[in-house]
Amino acid sequence: MKNKYILSGLLLILSFTSCDQDQLLNTVPPTQLSSADVFDTPERILGLVNGVYKALKSSSFYGGRYLLYTDVRGEDFINITGNTFTGYESWNNSYAPGSNDIINLWSAGYTTINQANILIDGLQKNTGKIDASLELQYIAEAKFLRALTYYSLVTVYARPYNENNGASPGLPLRLLAETTPANNDLARSTVAEVYGQVLKDLDDAEAGLPQSHGNALLNTTRAHKNTAIALKTRVYLNQNNWDKVIEEAKKIVPQTSAPFSATTGVNHQLQDVVQIFAGNFTTTESVFSIPFTNLDNYGGQSSIAYIYNTNSEYYLNPEGVYGDAQWGVSDLRRAWLRVTGGRAFLAKYGATAPFLNYIPVIRYPEVLLNYAEALARKGDTRLSALLLKAVHGRSDASFVFPEGSLATSEAVLNTILKERRIELLGEGFRSNDLLRNLLPIPAKGSASLSAERIDPRDENYIFPLSNAEIATNKLL
Amino acid sequence: MKEIYLFRKIIILVLFFASDAWANRSISGFVKDKNTGEALAGVSVLVKGTTQGAITDGNGSFTLQVPAGAVTVVFTSIGYVTREVTVQSDHDGQLLVELEEDSRNLDELIVVGYGTQTRNEFTGSAVQIKGDLIKEQPVQSFDQALQGKAAGVSIAQPNGVLNNPPVIRIRGVNSISLSSYPLIVVDGVPVNTGNISADSNVPNNPLGDINPADIESIDILKDAASTAIYGSRAAAGVLLITTKRGKEGRVRVGYEGWVGISNAVRLPEVLNAEEFIAIKNESVLNSRLLAGASAENYEQFFADQNPDGSPVDTRWYDYIYRTGVSHNHGVNISGGTQNTSYYFSANYSDQKGFLVDNDFKRNGIRFNIDHKVNGWLKLRGNFSYNNTFNQSPNSGSLPNNAQLIIGAARMSFILPPNVSPFNADGSWNVTPTGQIGNGNNKIVSSYYNPLALFELSEYTSENDRVLGNLGATFRLLKGLDLTTTYSVDRLKTENIGFNSSKTGSSSTTTGGNAYNISALRNNWNWTTTLNYDTRLAKNHISGLAGYDVQKFSNSGWGASVTQAADSYFEDYQGTWGNITPTGNFINERAYVSYFGRINYDYADRYFFTLNYRRDGSSPLGVNFKFGDFGGASAGWLVSEEEFFKNSSVRSILSSAKLKASWGRVGNGNLNNAYGSLELYGASLYGSAPTWALSQAGNPDLAWETSNQTNIGAELGFWNNRIQAEITWFNNDVNGLILNAPQAPSKGIPGDAILANVGSLYNRGLELGINAGLIRKDNFSWSAGLNFTSVTNKVTALAEGNADIIGTTHVAANAFNVTRVGHSVGSLYGAVVDGVNPDNGRVVFINKDGKKVQFTHVAGAGDYRWSYLDGTEAPAITAADYQILGNALPKWFGGFSNSFTWYNFDLGFNFTFAGGNYIMNGTRATLLDQRYFNNSTEILSRWQKPGDITHVPRLVYNDQLSNGNSGPVSTNVEKGDFLRLQNISFGYRLPPGILEGSGIGSVRLYTQVSNAFLWTRYSGLDPESSSNSNSNTSPGVELNSIGQARTFTFGLNLGF
Repeated sequence: MKNKYILSGLLLILSFTSCDQDQLLNTVPPTQLSSADVFDTPERILGLVNGVYKALKSSSFYGGRYLLYTDVRGEDFINITGNTFTGYESWNNSYAPGSNDIINLWSAGYTTINQANILIDGLQKNTGKIDASLELQYIAEAKFLRALTYYSLVTVYARPYNENNGASPGLPLRLLAETTPANNDLARSTVAEVYGQVLKDLDDAEAGLPQSHGNALLNTTRAHKNTAIALKTRVYLNQNNWDKVIEEAKKIVPQTSAPFSATTGVNHQLQDVVQIFAGNFTTTESVFSIPFTNLDNYGGQSSIAYIYNTNSEYYLNPEGVYGDAQWGVSDLRRAWLRVTGGRAFLAKYGATAPFLNYIPVIRYPEVLLNYAEALARKGDTRLSALLLKAVHGRSDASFVFPEGSLATSEAVLNTILKERRIELLGEGFRSNDLLRNLLPIPAKGSASLSAERIDPRDENYIFPLSNAEIATNKLL
Repeated sequence: MKEIYLFRKIIILVLFFASDAWANRSISGFVKDKNTGEALAGVSVLVKGTTQGAITDGNGSFTLQVPAGAVTVVFTSIGYVTREVTVQSDHDGQLLVELEEDSRNLDELIVVGYGTQTRNEFTGSAVQIKGDLIKEQPVQSFDQALQGKAAGVSIAQPNGVLNNPPVIRIRGVNSISLSSYPLIVVDGVPVNTGNISADSNVPNNPLGDINPADIESIDILKDAASTAIYGSRAAAGVLLITTKRGKEGRVRVGYEGWVGISNAVRLPEVLNAEEFIAIKNESVLNSRLLAGASAENYEQFFADQNPDGSPVDTRWYDYIYRTGVSHNHGVNISGGTQNTSYYFSANYSDQKGFLVDNDFKRNGIRFNIDHKVNGWLKLRGNFSYNNTFNQSPNSGSLPNNAQLIIGAARMSFILPPNVSPFNADGSWNVTPTGQIGNGNNKIVSSYYNPLALFELSEYTSENDRVLGNLGATFRLLKGLDLTTTYSVDRLKTENIGFNSSKTGSSSTTTGGNAYNISALRNNWNWTTTLNYDTRLAKNHISGLAGYDVQKFSNSGWGASVTQAADSYFEDYQGTWGNITPTGNFINERAYVSYFGRINYDYADRYFFTLNYRRDGSSPLGVNFKFGDFGGASAGWLVSEEEFFKNSSVRSILSSAKLKASWGRVGNGNLNNAYGSLELYGASLYGSAPTWALSQAGNPDLAWETSNQTNIGAELGFWNNRIQAEITWFNNDVNGLILNAPQAPSKGIPGDAILANVGSLYNRGLELGINAGLIRKDNFSWSAGLNFTSVTNKVTALAEGNADIIGTTHVAANAFNVTRVGHSVGSLYGAVVDGVNPDNGRVVFINKDGKKVQFTHVAGAGDYRWSYLDGTEAPAITAADYQILGNALPKWFGGFSNSFTWYNFDLGFNFTFAGGNYIMNGTRATLLDQRYFNNSTEILSRWQKPGDITHVPRLVYNDQLSNGNSGPVSTNVEKGDFLRLQNISFGYRLPPGILEGSGIGSVRLYTQVSNAFLWTRYSGLDPESSSNSNSNTSPGVELNSIGQARTFTFGLNLGF
């Protein structure tokens, strides 16, 4: 009978001691890091920097679909499928505040902004973990990405700056790292205030960014001085601030005749027009691009290569720039298209999965055309035309601009705007070029699907605000 | 009194044989179960008024010494109605006694946490459901068969995909962000629940691993006094599953089998080819006219011909639904000696759903053993192994599937009827990129040809599971037992998916795709309890103290390959061009608990129970790992009081018990094992490693606490022929863990932070009635009714009481809102005030109460959004949305009838629910203005000024007017229904026929499940839930499949 007490006593002791309570209850995730440890090492801090770029790379944002939304609104694409999950609502200007694209783009943009803010905040709180110079560089990169994001959002969700010098309501301007329930409600700043912040960030970024990152991949996928300068030419252009466009452009296009190239920092210049979209994604032409690898890419409807090309959901409007004489048949840029059954599809981003073509954010020819446009506006048609010809000539050297197309500054300007539609086709520019010039969005369509003309006065000239924000931010 | 005498005579079936009177003679006989005809062992046989008695042996036989003269013999067995048989002095020969099962015997044992109690002693609120009630149901998991069986327990089938977990709610929705699914405890071990499939196409309910026929009973604990012993894990109630065990007596062998056929019901009527062409072209024409464009050659949709010249008119339902044939078999062997008893079973189930390619298979074995080693040590072991196989195409019915192009349900509704599934040569009608061809239509469809899609893809999720435990009970002193049990639940799941590279598959353009994901859920549990039980005069005291540790270690890993080297490859193991990791996860969660219980009763009349549990839970905030929970309850068996016994009401009210309880339980069932931590996740930017905020944490994250009050009465009328239980309950849930919504502009992952904010309550009334209405020799009729009314209201939410929006698959489907003052997950959306008879535009009411009309296409001088006078109006946004109805049923229950007549039996089970509204999102799909086919409802569209209708003017590609992008009130419908859940008809062969055959009993039956549905809801099924178990987005039906109607034929054999 004693046995039973011994046996049961042993079992009882065993059951209490076999488990270390603290160890059982204080579990840590093996695949994620606690906020307390994430600024611990230089490698992790670098990881956080890359994390902001990764946020920018959201499929709804510069991972590709932001480009789709802003391109197909213009008149150069015709939708085939009528599918709301592949930009149809952008194409026919029927976005509602509850539309998926509207909610997801808003969210992706602000996620990028918060990751940038967290990095800036964390670096200031964890000084000494890395070199002071590197710290400045990382903050500059965060500010560059924050600026790019605010610019990208304010140009679609708010009225154009040029309508009233930015007096319209803009965006909630979030500049603090947000990880707690505080600061939920925030009113919209004006469009001008948002532009002001974008330019301030870009000036800071230019000051803090390195001349170069040392290799072609990093020079393409991470921001450096010239990246910030190049983006400034775009932002100032959007404000019709021609003098500032010229001032910034001169920093990276110092020449007054071809060939044009940046002489400080990364040596940007035009490259083989076919190769830049067919395998060589890290040339000096690509000022800033989003990288794709086998382990980091998008497929299906998250990929614009799939939407444009693989699944053939948009073809080039024959009545748009595709059919324009300025885009000659011998122009090498026709290699960016796949023509089948009489229809041309955009093939810039690849054809088959996995889609590994880099998505361009800034290319050097854009800077040249920004510069050219500002010069034309200021009446300097000579250099303006030279820049234009440099862009056009590299893919169609034999092309002769028709008489009159370069005769007046207005003619040059129109030719430049058209050249942008060819050179930057599918890179997210067309609808913004219409909006910043306060032009109507032309009607377009096929026998089965059509999009009406939208005038600047129309409510759907810009995107509606996100319902998710409307429902939660009471000061909006 | 005459009635009672008669009644007694009816229920006792005694065979008399004439004989002489003996002095102090011996009588012998045989006792069996009236329903099954099986011999009953262990029945106490006692001469009334004496101590002379006997116990039946394993064959149900007994021999008893009785005094001379007529005597009354009392037959008593737990779970059966006690019978008294008068044996005349001249009786000779065998006495054959049939005992009838008592559905609510007061001495019956109820399984409570870590023990059992008699119904008399039990003062909480619980329902016991016998395994016999569910074993013949054509279900995959036992939980699906509990519909309408218990007051306070709402069970709904969200769709008709096999082995999809049902939505179970005990006394309402008790949480917002955490699971409201009850804790499921199988033979003492809390197990994994929910959907564990790693493939969103195919569901996998781990409860399907338990063979329903192995279940002895299911005890559902509802109030805090009962559940508090499970502390933090019990806020949504507890289901205690007890599997069958052997009984002392001869070896019994049973076979149970059925075959069934399932079909889809209530499919919406869609347009035929001719109607489709006319309707679609009309909408194209309207959009031209409204735009002021030319109507020339406007037609986009044209008839097509079959090779034989007949017009193509495809009924897509015929290719997507089928008649599913299922069969199910189980064999069990049980028995035991005085010291050892065992139960062994094997089962095989092969079920085919009404959706093409939707299959479920299970085969498993179970072995339960009890052994008494000596006077102080008892061992108890359970072991089961199961292999469960689930396969389904994407039905569109599972959470986050509603808008997928490959969703079968939507395809079945919207594919164009004027397109043939085949080309003239018999091959599939598909385009080079894999989509369905368009016949003569000029449009381009994003959809696939379902024939090719189903044939070229396969999604499966298969479990291998071992669930076993071994326990030992030491009798330390008289009345003092130490029990310790170690349990292992090892669940391995393999998910395999494949999409062919062949043309017609959804992966044509990626060169095919295959993925294998393996997941392991390992769960161990060690429970040690000390029980003490003693009686001192009229005092009965029992106590329990215990310690429980449980740990779940879950991990999954897998990879996905694309670009098949050859279209021949259909397996992950083939040769492919690209590979990426998928399905990876790893986490642990642990619980450490101390608990105790004291029961005291006096004179078998006054009952008291105290429960206490201290619980530690790993997912909670570092500052709040532990919580204290407990409950108290009391009961008064009024009918045992002398005054009652002597009272005249006793002739009507034969028993009465009053009870009340109060307790506090917790809820820390975070979906995320690390939900309280601020975390950074890693990824890749190209090839550079990244870190980024992945979760905003909260170190103060603590339990949700639920204060529950329960007041009830158990009443028996007419000698307990009618038994009723009525209960009022109130659950106040405080400190709700909420995904407190954050403005998206803050950029916080998921736009939410978990916090203890908010509160809600569930209040209601439960009524359960069981009645043996007629009990005659050859005819009986019994009926049961249970009814629950519950009111759910949110009383506080996160800072500023911010609404919580519930979406269905995509952000645009913001169908639900959780708002203070309303029930959780209420439906909301834009209020529609009909269709303007002048122009056919849908008219909304905006937040200022003004009427705003909408047209998808507005020509020059017109506006898309305008007031009725034609002036421009702002667009309708979420700011204009109103609450459109509560999504949670306010009342529900079941009503059952069973009849026996000679050897025939007949049963009806009805379930009902109502008081709720449903967002019929499928209606929006069926009225979609794109190239989709429509339901015949569209034929009543507005066509000319003056038309009064609720279907707006057709405008091609208009996705707003009918609620395809953004919710509208026109799709909100009442959800009241009454369903004939089950009707069964059975026949038991008379024992005489079987004599000498070696077969003890034979029962044949046939039944129809989901036989009829009475409802004014126009969708497929009022129980549908496109978001399955979600708390914040209930009551949405969107592009999902309905319920099957199943006919089964079954055979039970006993040896």
